[in-house]
Amino acid sequence: MAVMIETKNLIKVYGDITAVDNVTLSVERGALYGLLGPNGSGKTTMIKMLTGQIRPNGGSVSVVGIDVMRDPIGVRERVGIIPEQETPPSFLTATEYLNFVAAVRKIPDIDEKAAWWFDFLDFRDKKDVLCKDLSRGTRQKLMFAQAFIHKPVLALIDEPLINFDPIMQRVVKDYLGEYVKKGGTIFISTHILEVAEEICSGFAILHKGKLLHTGSVSDLKSNNQHLDDFFLSLVQNGAHA
Amino acid sequence: MVPMLDLFWNMMKEEWRVHSTMFGSISFALFPIMIFAIAFMGSFLLPVFKSVLPIQDMLIITHGNFLLLGLMVGAFGLLGNEVMNRRFGQASLLAYSSRSLPLSERFIFANFVVKDTVYYFVFWVFPFIAGFALATPFTHISPIYPLILSVTLTSSFLFGLSGVFFLSTIYVRSKRVLGIVLVLILVIFVFAYKFAGISVTSLFPPLILFYSFSWTNLIITCAVIIIPFIISIALFIPEFTDTTKRYRNMLTSMTRKLWFFPYPPFSAKDLIDMHRSGSVVGQTIFSFIIPLALIWFFLSALTGFLPAYGIFLQFTVLTGVIASTMYTWLTQFDSFTSYSCLPVSVKTVIASKINSFTVLQLIPIAFISFVSFTTHNVPYLLPALVLCISISFYALSVIVYMTGLSPNVLLYDVKVLFVYLISVGFPVLVLGALSFINPNYALGSVLLFLPTLYLIKLGFTKWDVLDQPIF
Ligand SMILES: Nc1ncnc2c1ncn2[C@@H]1O[C@H](COP(=O)(O)OP(=O)(O)O)[C@@H](O)[C@H]1O
Ligand SMILES: [Mg+2]
Repeated sequence: MAVMIETKNLIKVYGDITAVDNVTLSVERGALYGLLGPNGSGKTTMIKMLTGQIRPNGGSVSVVGIDVMRDPIGVRERVGIIPEQETPPSFLTATEYLNFVAAVRKIPDIDEKAAWWFDFLDFRDKKDVLCKDLSRGTRQKLMFAQAFIHKPVLALIDEPLINFDPIMQRVVKDYLGEYVKKGGTIFISTHILEVAEEICSGFAILHKGKLLHTGSVSDLKSNNQHLDDFFLSLVQNGAHA
Repeated sequence: MVPMLDLFWNMMKEEWRVHSTMFGSISFALFPIMIFAIAFMGSFLLPVFKSVLPIQDMLIITHGNFLLLGLMVGAFGLLGNEVMNRRFGQASLLAYSSRSLPLSERFIFANFVVKDTVYYFVFWVFPFIAGFALATPFTHISPIYPLILSVTLTSSFLFGLSGVFFLSTIYVRSKRVLGIVLVLILVIFVFAYKFAGISVTSLFPPLILFYSFSWTNLIITCAVIIIPFIISIALFIPEFTDTTKRYRNMLTSMTRKLWFFPYPPFSAKDLIDMHRSGSVVGQTIFSFIIPLALIWFFLSALTGFLPAYGIFLQFTVLTGVIASTMYTWLTQFDSFTSYSCLPVSVKTVIASKINSFTVLQLIPIAFISFVSFTTHNVPYLLPALVLCISISFYALSVIVYMTGLSPNVLLYDVKVLFVYLISVGFPVLVLGALSFINPNYALGSVLLFLPTLYLIKLGFTKWDVLDQPIF
């Protein structure tokens, strides 16, 4: 399976806002793909449709070869997801949450795996604290562990670095880079362009729900262009068009 | 005085913001209008009611309802904190802002109490009285009655509110003392009723005030409201949660122990949620036992009119309705977003909540059994249990169908509440009437399981397809 994500003319409407407007996109296996756009451009809505959390009003969407609208659970079994709002269950501890995820996803040897993540993301000291009492950064770490603990073929991450300090950002960026080198696929959304420029291979630019451009970061670099200049010119043209 | 007013005004705005963002301000503003309309139109039915129920009993019931309303509002305000807290973030609610504002916790709590009083007065009590009052020119009832009622119903409401604030303050300080206080109240009532031959309702100041309006009675009524308020504010201690507290892993062992359940990890999580939030005991006392004890007192005040088993079965019906709200206890902890990154369908989560709900039904079963033993109604225990559980599950199915996983929010939507009241009210009235005629007819309530299963099935498909609402 070479294509991990494929959407055709995807549409999502909220009242009189068209949050995602006719988006056709495809992501190859092994990519670290960035969905870029300013706040409110429809990135979160896209990710929710890709993972079957909300239903599109039109178009088709297939992820890891499965029609998302037919079998959203099947898709979520195979992928890892980090939502924009990190909301692990309030009254479970971090350890218990990972155990809960393991029970639902039927993951063996959860104690060792959890221990590895507590060390890797440096929050072993918080592992027995209730999720509601964790800081946003620690909750984000927990959500990170939750998304990767079953080694999914594809992970979708909504704004991956937003709650992390610079050291943790480095750790996470390196992890994502390694993950695709080993054959995984990562799809991230972000409004921070430097992140995309630094780690992504391919990217798509979304503006007011419309797909303005898709391309590869290396092409951009060989043309000596910066992603942010390119982005600004596109968005401004888009606004005037 | 200025900061007090300022804080008060901001809290009111906040309450409005919280409620209106949940379901649109128009829908929310319709709420008092609906209450008004019900009272206004209900007034025209008074002659009909009067032929069935003596006016005395009607007065008792109305005052009892307002007392209950105050109690429920108080319980919701206090127990609901945990929910609001999480949904809107600790810092976003002014009630929690003492850590950032230079105000004392007690001062903020006092404001909280006043805000609840004014807010719910405007939304519930005033529209009801206004509806009744505006109907008097047409119903030929002396306008003096709505005037007196406006005082006595308001004080019934406040009595419930201050009572629950008082009891919950004790609850936070010491659960044992609360137990002693509750038993003491019970003993006083039972003693007055059984041995001194005093009617229970004549111990209720707002009703005394209604029957003989005098300055002394007015002062007594005000005192029984204000004194508990003052005591609760004086005794108030903020609940600081220790955010560094460690807990051992209960989930794994509990999941293993519950292997015979259809969704062991989900049920384990429900149990842990209720255990750690301390809400089983609190909710059982404040949202189940205290309201039902009050209902029992008011129902038994009507004894002259109703057959003894009739009261018991009537009480059973109400217990069933209240037991169905246990579904809201289970769904208050998380919204579906906690599950949406896992391979779990909405249907699975609802089904697992219904499963935990079924376990919680042991509480009404134990309660009804206890009441039947203490009131010599053991011969009617079987029909009573069937009636209670059938109604509870039926009302649950209506809630599931109407609100999915968000009953705590959606039941405040006028349209939803209206449909809920109609669809639960109708079978409740029919079954209530039938069990009056013959207690064994109550067994027929098992038939409710047919619509129950159908509604739950419809609810599964409905909520699996709908995008989950985000609050
Ligand atoms: N549940 C919803 N109801 C109504 N409008 C929504 C909802 N979710 C998102 N929107 C709107 O859709 C647009 C895109 O939002 P979103 O996908 O969150 O953007 P982004 O993630 O790029 O910041 C915004 O205008 C937002 O207000
Ligand atoms: Mg977003």
